[in-house]
Amino acid sequence: MFNYILKKEFLLIIRDIHALLVLFIMPAVFILIMSLALKNTYSDSFETKLKVAVITEENIDTTTFVKDLNKSSYFSADLLFEESLKTLIYDKNYDFVIKIDKDFKNKINTNEEDFQIQSYSKADTNKEYFSILKNSIVEIISKNIMKEYFIKSKIDGKVLSQLSQKINNSYIYKDDKTKTKPNSVQQSVPAWLVFSMFFILIPISNTFINEKNFGTISRIRSINVSLFPILLGKILPYFIINQIQVIIMILIGIYIVPLCGGDSLVINGNYLLIFCMSSAISICAICFALLIANISKTTEEATSIGGVINIIFAALGGIMVPKFVMPEFMQNITSYSPMSWGLEGLLEIFIRGGDFSNIKIYLLYLLIFATISLLLAYILLKKGRN
Amino acid sequence: MSIIIKDLNKSYNNQHILENLSLQINTGSVFGLLGPNGAGKTTLVSILNQLIKKDSGNIEIYGFDLEKNSNEIKKISSYIPQTYAFYPNLTSYENLEFFGALYGLSGEKLKQQINYCIEVTSLEKYIHKKAFAYSGGVKRRLNIAIGLLNSPKIIYFDEPTVGIDPQSRKYILDVIKNLNKKLDTTIIYTSHYMEEIEFLCDEIAILDKKRIIIQDKKENLIQKKSIISIQLENRTLEVDVLNSYDNFLNIMSELKNKNEKIININFVDKNLENMFLSLTKEELRD
Repeated sequence: MFNYILKKEFLLIIRDIHALLVLFIMPAVFILIMSLALKNTYSDSFETKLKVAVITEENIDTTTFVKDLNKSSYFSADLLFEESLKTLIYDKNYDFVIKIDKDFKNKINTNEEDFQIQSYSKADTNKEYFSILKNSIVEIISKNIMKEYFIKSKIDGKVLSQLSQKINNSYIYKDDKTKTKPNSVQQSVPAWLVFSMFFILIPISNTFINEKNFGTISRIRSINVSLFPILLGKILPYFIINQIQVIIMILIGIYIVPLCGGDSLVINGNYLLIFCMSSAISICAICFALLIANISKTTEEATSIGGVINIIFAALGGIMVPKFVMPEFMQNITSYSPMSWGLEGLLEIFIRGGDFSNIKIYLLYLLIFATISLLLAYILLKKGRN
Repeated sequence: MSIIIKDLNKSYNNQHILENLSLQINTGSVFGLLGPNGAGKTTLVSILNQLIKKDSGNIEIYGFDLEKNSNEIKKISSYIPQTYAFYPNLTSYENLEFFGALYGLSGEKLKQQINYCIEVTSLEKYIHKKAFAYSGGVKRRLNIAIGLLNSPKIIYFDEPTVGIDPQSRKYILDVIKNLNKKLDTTIIYTSHYMEEIEFLCDEIAILDKKRIIIQDKKENLIQKKSIISIQLENRTLEVDVLNSYDNFLNIMSELKNKNEKIININFVDKNLENMFLSLTKEELRD
């Protein structure tokens, strides 16, 4: 009997084209887009450098300045003579235009107070980009002046010229565990995988609500059949679908994202632990889906309620915006989203090479959430029957 | 007796739906359960199919107590709901296979039973087409086919012909009649269509205001009301002459004394609908 129950449920899932799109195509597209789109955010350099036009007259100082600016991994600079700012910014697509006096070095050395370097950009330019540009200009000019000073004073300024390479940053987290900042694909794959696993609620609620509304559940209950194989037959196919999602999304991260120009997914951890985490996420998502299916009267209602809650879970849980870029109070809020527990557990394994002791707390949270959801679903189902 | 119900009570939110309801249904009969909307028909059928629990009372089905022998009763019963209780994204064959498996059938026995149900309901053309694309009539036939998978001794049909064309309706009624005649299956049939009940049923009960208000053989029941309609100049009087012929004579003599002009006198058709309306009254129900 059980094989027929499984067959029925698999046929229903396979024939639900909308659910398949949400479960497989949506996360695959998100992983590709977000891995490529967020590449700069996670990288120490820009894939597409910011275009800078330096308007000045050509001399040894200005040419060196532009040359040094081009050495930066963030900028691609051109030395230009007077030209319209609007043409440069809007027609020639320069991100920044810098006006600098050809005698800037002398003016700095002589402490000329009205000396200025003026930058221009579009109104919606990222302020962080301007900060990077400003710091780079300060660094380039200071280095040049100091270099001349050291030569005159016969001081070896080797360390000074390598100063930027000698400045490194380490992330400090409140739980004092060593954590590595993920690259874009290592953040995107687990994030959108967890997100899509929770969307199992669409096929579950569709089937469950249709069964409820069409009287199929009543018919099944009027048959002399135990509830256990029926329930297991409903849960197991969705669990298997979730595990297929895990395999496909990991393969996309490893093989497809690099083909499109992104980084490749590197998994440092144990595959058995990935299965433990994905199982807990799946059980949590299925139980939550059963709760939503019991709360809702129609499939439209389930899709709206479940969809909105999933998106809130995702926004709070570091799926849409990575947790490490959030301010501290938002990072604290993420602890209340089941998607965050799933994501953090997977990141522990994917990036930090964590062992079971590192993920057990997330497993526990997910299973507690699953148990509460299932209990509430059962109470609602029983209430409905009475 | 296939079903014996004694003093059945059921209430929701402190409101009585069924009150001290008693009923007996003969084995092998086609039993019509009539009643206006909200009379409690669905509640009664749901209790008999163990979809909801009764508050009190005794129910025996084929000698089995509903509470003590619920599994035995489920094995010999089949419930064919008003809704299309199957999976629209599956074909007829896949639906029958799934429900057959739930009835404990497998292998060759399952195939044989599926083929039998397909043949009885003439679903041959549709077995590999998905059910959502069927017409209302074919959907109803699939609904019935699923209910025949366990070769039940008793089948509950809950308004099985709602929303279908006359040809499909006739076909379904013939299938039900044949099931009763050939296999001696007890049929419990609820419907709002009086002509269907008249065509199908040997015995009829009318459920209204929480209890069975009348139960008898169809012929007896229709005979129990003989109405004469007296059309006067400004109104029409209806008189039950079967229960009180004296009353009819008195009325006629009174009309004569008052010099009221009688325009026409008719015997109202002795059909089930008139009997039903006269018993349950004509006011609208929720």
